[in-house]
Amino acid sequence: MTRNAFASLSPSDLEARFDAESYVADDRTVTTVHLALTLGRPLLVEGPPGSGKTELGKVLAKGFDTELIRLQCYEGLTAENALYEWNYTKQLLAVQADEGTVAGAADPDKPERERSVFDEEYLLERPLLRALTAGGDVPPVLLVDEIDRADEEFEAFLLELLSDFQVSIPEYGTVKADQPPIVILTSNRTRGLSDALKRRCLYLHVEPPSFEDEYEIVRRKVPELDAAVAAEVCAIVARLREEAFLKQPGVAETLDWARAVAQLRHDDAEEPLSAAEIERTLGCLLKEAEDFARVDTELLEQLRDAAAAADSRIEA
Amino acid sequence: MNFDNDGRVENGNGGRSSDAVSGTDSTPGGQEIEASVDTDASDGFDRFSTRDGIPDFRGARRHTLIELIRLAAMLRSAGVAIPPSDTLAAARALSVVGLDDRTRVEDALRATLLSEPADADAFESQFPTFWHRLRSGLTAVATEHDTPMNDEESDESETAAPSDADADEPGVLEDAEAPDFTGSDENDGPVDVRIPTDRRHATGDRAESTGERDARRYSAVGGSERVDVDVARLSRAEVAAIDRFVDALSTIPGRRRRHASSGDHVEARRALRASLATGGAPIELPSSKPVPSELQCCLLIDVSGSVLDTCDRSVLLAFADRMHASARDAGVFLFDTDLVDVTAQFERGDGDPAGALRDAAVEWGGGTKIGDAFATLRRNHPYAVDRRTVVVVVSDGLDVGDRDTLASGVTWLADRASAVVWLNPLAVSSSFEPTSRGMATALPYLDALFGFSEPADLDEAARQIEQRGLGGAIGYEHDARQFEVASGGDPA
Repeated sequence: MTRNAFASLSPSDLEARFDAESYVADDRTVTTVHLALTLGRPLLVEGPPGSGKTELGKVLAKGFDTELIRLQCYEGLTAENALYEWNYTKQLLAVQADEGTVAGAADPDKPERERSVFDEEYLLERPLLRALTAGGDVPPVLLVDEIDRADEEFEAFLLELLSDFQVSIPEYGTVKADQPPIVILTSNRTRGLSDALKRRCLYLHVEPPSFEDEYEIVRRKVPELDAAVAAEVCAIVARLREEAFLKQPGVAETLDWARAVAQLRHDDAEEPLSAAEIERTLGCLLKEAEDFARVDTELLEQLRDAAAAADSRIEA
Repeated sequence: MNFDNDGRVENGNGGRSSDAVSGTDSTPGGQEIEASVDTDASDGFDRFSTRDGIPDFRGARRHTLIELIRLAAMLRSAGVAIPPSDTLAAARALSVVGLDDRTRVEDALRATLLSEPADADAFESQFPTFWHRLRSGLTAVATEHDTPMNDEESDESETAAPSDADADEPGVLEDAEAPDFTGSDENDGPVDVRIPTDRRHATGDRAESTGERDARRYSAVGGSERVDVDVARLSRAEVAAIDRFVDALSTIPGRRRRHASSGDHVEARRALRASLATGGAPIELPSSKPVPSELQCCLLIDVSGSVLDTCDRSVLLAFADRMHASARDAGVFLFDTDLVDVTAQFERGDGDPAGALRDAAVEWGGGTKIGDAFATLRRNHPYAVDRRTVVVVVSDGLDVGDRDTLASGVTWLADRASAVVWLNPLAVSSSFEPTSRGMATALPYLDALFGFSEPADLDEAARQIEQRGLGGAIGYEHDARQFEVASGGDPA
């Protein structure tokens, strides 16, 4: 087993680091991330878009002051793009200049002209390999974003990496990490992931935050917005989530909207939100035409009521 | 309990899982286990075991693993896919988070055992049982004497275990089997551990010793009394709700017919109209079949003390009377510890069954032995239920009789009847869960379980049956009104 830099990490320590990065996490998130770090297992984070999955990876990298290696998945992503590639041009030049040979394995003891061109020197590291070879006291954070967008073949290809933190390069040998990177996989559940992948990971399902948590998030991320208005914003979003919209507003949408509201009102900062104001800026929250069509006077009225009740909720 | 799994985890995880017990950090609330952490958890203490008040680490570790595997097995039986490696991961996770903090243990197990949001429900229903068994078992390991639980079931099994260990020689203990905390073995299958929480009432489990009066009333053989109430006059809404419920349950074809793709009668009018399009030659013959509009039912009403205290007795009788009058053929049976056929009294009563019941000297208000009542029905009135009969049971499921008798009784009913619908007066609370012993035993064999306290409940039941049919996803858990209450009344 490779050494683990987080063996002595306590949950409260982790919470403090989240706090320092203004990341509001509930207890379940803290416990699960803490387990992923101490057990050295990859963490699979699922949840609706805009719930702070990617942010979690970024915050971990910042909080532990380490490198963030991000791999954005897409359909057609291949091993060459994700793992490594041979620098063909350099290899070709080396062979032509008689500085290396295509035969045999890499062996540093041999004289230069008999050395193989399949050597570290000719290897182009892509994100996954870089995550394994990166040095330093604290292992890097490897963020495999939106794994559900990649092909299933790619998922299978990740398995060796995730379970043993090593990759096999046929011409070169096996590269093993000195210390396993912190691996965060995120998924929007556009397709189901294979059981083989899931069983190698700890699992965290991110849900929309509670009213109090969301208020806390808005206060920290959009400090320019008045506290009372921030409470109203959160109450309205919470009320909107009760409607059966095609695309539920996530935390990211809440923050967008909070920024929009803060931008629009500079002089009358303490005034409560008016119905017209809500309607004008609703484009920050709802991203589907059908959802827009559902917003009528009655719903706006209910949103107003929810906003009016927000202050007492904050005080309570 | 899967002992193969057990062995595997013990071998694969030998060193680590002892941390599971000793790894408790300084979170308060650890009770006796906390003390065990202060003393060094070295191997030497194993042999002294519970003798000198030093906890039996080996037993505790073993207990934790057994409970963990048991939880995994229960989740698997609930349809959650858990590979064996996940159980290992869960054990390691427990060794990190310790066993003190309930939410942290829950989160750790959630992270390791689950991989689908849909599995969360199964987990949430199993976890309280796991936690209770784990904690009470560990407490039993940590202390020699009585456990703090006032739960009679766990008392029986768990205080017995340490005293067994005491009886052995100290030297023998090292190799002795750890006390068996797998619970009482006769309770295999669905786990039945009563959890002393304030949800007890909501789940339908009553404390059985809350006072002398209750003990008498709810005991298995409590005294019964004569029927001494008048039948309430039902409001129009109540009558309408009952009639709608009866219509929804209907299984027997009546006179009305409906167009159907495969019916037994040709629809002459429709065929004639269709033939106009083909120049008078009837090419297609539309057919029709009768609409089920009549109900043959067997009404089994629990008149034990617990039900009579929950429901208004006169309304209960009026309900039975209206059911009996509305259905084409309805047998009515009252049961507490005994089952009485009162169909004749309802027929003769003509709107006043209470009088007829009084005349027939029928008693009610005793204890509840649902299984025995079903057995009596099977023995004495085997023709009351046939394949066209819908059995409607009105009972709160607080059974004090034998589980096996109840299971065999309810399976017989389910096999024989067209459908079994259970109306439970307790199932109207939004926090209701069918975890009481009788209800949990019967539930798998029921077509539906509905709440039963006001006309709206019957209306809701009828609505669900009309929409989805008796074989569909119906029952109290699909009651839309509950969600409204839950989301509307929630302050946070």
